[in-house]
Amino acid sequence: MKAVKVNFRINDEPVALEVKPYETLLETLRERLDLIGGKEACGLGSCGACTVIVDGIPLRSCLVLTPEVDGASITTIEGLARNGRLHPLQESFMEKGAVQCGFCTSGMILTAKALLDRNPRPARKEVVKTISSNICRCTGYKKIVDAVLDASLKNKAYHINN
Amino acid sequence: MILPKFNYKKAEDIAAAIALYEKAKGRARYLAGGTDLIPRVKLRLSTPGTIIDLKGIEQLHTISRQRGSLIIGANVTLFELKNHDVVKNHFPALYESLDATSCETLQMRGTIGGNILQNTRCLLYNKSLEWRTARGFCYKMGGESCNVVPGASECFSNYCSDNALSLLSLSASVNLAGPGGERKIKLEKLFSGNGMDPFTMRPGEILTEIRVPVKASSGAYEKLRVRNAIDYPLLGVAVSIRNGSGRVCVGGIGPAPRVYPLKDLSKTSLKEVAQHARQEAKPVSNAALSPGYRKKMVQTLTQRAVKRALKEEK
Repeated sequence: MKAVKVNFRINDEPVALEVKPYETLLETLRERLDLIGGKEACGLGSCGACTVIVDGIPLRSCLVLTPEVDGASITTIEGLARNGRLHPLQESFMEKGAVQCGFCTSGMILTAKALLDRNPRPARKEVVKTISSNICRCTGYKKIVDAVLDASLKNKAYHINN
Repeated sequence: MILPKFNYKKAEDIAAAIALYEKAKGRARYLAGGTDLIPRVKLRLSTPGTIIDLKGIEQLHTISRQRGSLIIGANVTLFELKNHDVVKNHFPALYESLDATSCETLQMRGTIGGNILQNTRCLLYNKSLEWRTARGFCYKMGGESCNVVPGASECFSNYCSDNALSLLSLSASVNLAGPGGERKIKLEKLFSGNGMDPFTMRPGEILTEIRVPVKASSGAYEKLRVRNAIDYPLLGVAVSIRNGSGRVCVGGIGPAPRVYPLKDLSKTSLKEVAQHARQEAKPVSNAALSPGYRKKMVQTLTQRAVKRALKEEK
């Protein structure tokens, strides 16, 4: 199997790699680039723990082959903090206690970020709908939804940061 | 879960994709969103030598209107289609089925073509290779019996696309391109009714576009599932009504969806259709809910969907 050359940007830094054609983006991120924020849980696209943002769209990196994202721009949880300051979503998750075991958290935050990027002031119903893409087996979701709404209210700070 | 070894090729246009397929001598699979294919490959239900990525084909990624039809490229994602004006305003059944498909993140990745061409599912089939080897292979895996119904001579796997049902209710047709040229068929003709090989597509053919006549309709989609957030349908019913008559489509039970015409909108004809659909549904215990319950719900959801569709019309 011939290796495939790929070029993409991860958290605003250009990366050039030679990867296996049957390598998933999650494997590349975790094993080649040490970006271990995305987690593998089901490995079949059901749970959302491996979500990363590719060209503005939240994707399940366990279902994406790395050669498919050639030329794309990828954001992982490691790339959210700016100048030593956490992203408003990360702060809200901490303030509202929306993290328990933490396994789903990076996927939750990135899914929520993609929502806030296209709709800065979502209604509670919309947040629930978007967040239902991801599975959390600890929190019962209430605190996660509260945290996303809280981050959306920090509207000004959010837009300055982004 | 680790993927088996395969080659990756990206096609720039349809002709190139077909050429790549022919070069791989039948051991190739086309990849669009990958939300159905990649889990299947991970479970070793499909073991292609080459994966041909169709996402680079611009032509498959457009929605246009031509001679009274909405032409939807097969690579349009479910989320894009859901937010398209014509779908929102003219095809309520399609809007509802798109909205009910899986979850938002997967809607942004999954394509309409891939959703229609997803393989049939069964509780005892969509399992890891180790699980299946221990249990013994069934017809759909190349074995010699059915693991769900002892002594059965056919495969009862379920076709679980939500959107094919609403597109059928809207009388959609599809365009296929392959080594033997292009052809246009009605969506109904895409289904073989054989659970082992559910589609009538010839080797190497690509679903290129879906055509839906643009006429205002009222409609609804009803879906039975355990978790509203993500599951495949355990039963789906789509109804679209245009000019006083309609089409009801029932899926999620068996390898092909069934279409029933609704000649008029009277209570008696609705009851007849709902009862008929229930009689013809043959669920077996290969899904998360019991076959008896799913069979009863065919009638209930058919009536519910039609009633909801009619209320919108008033």
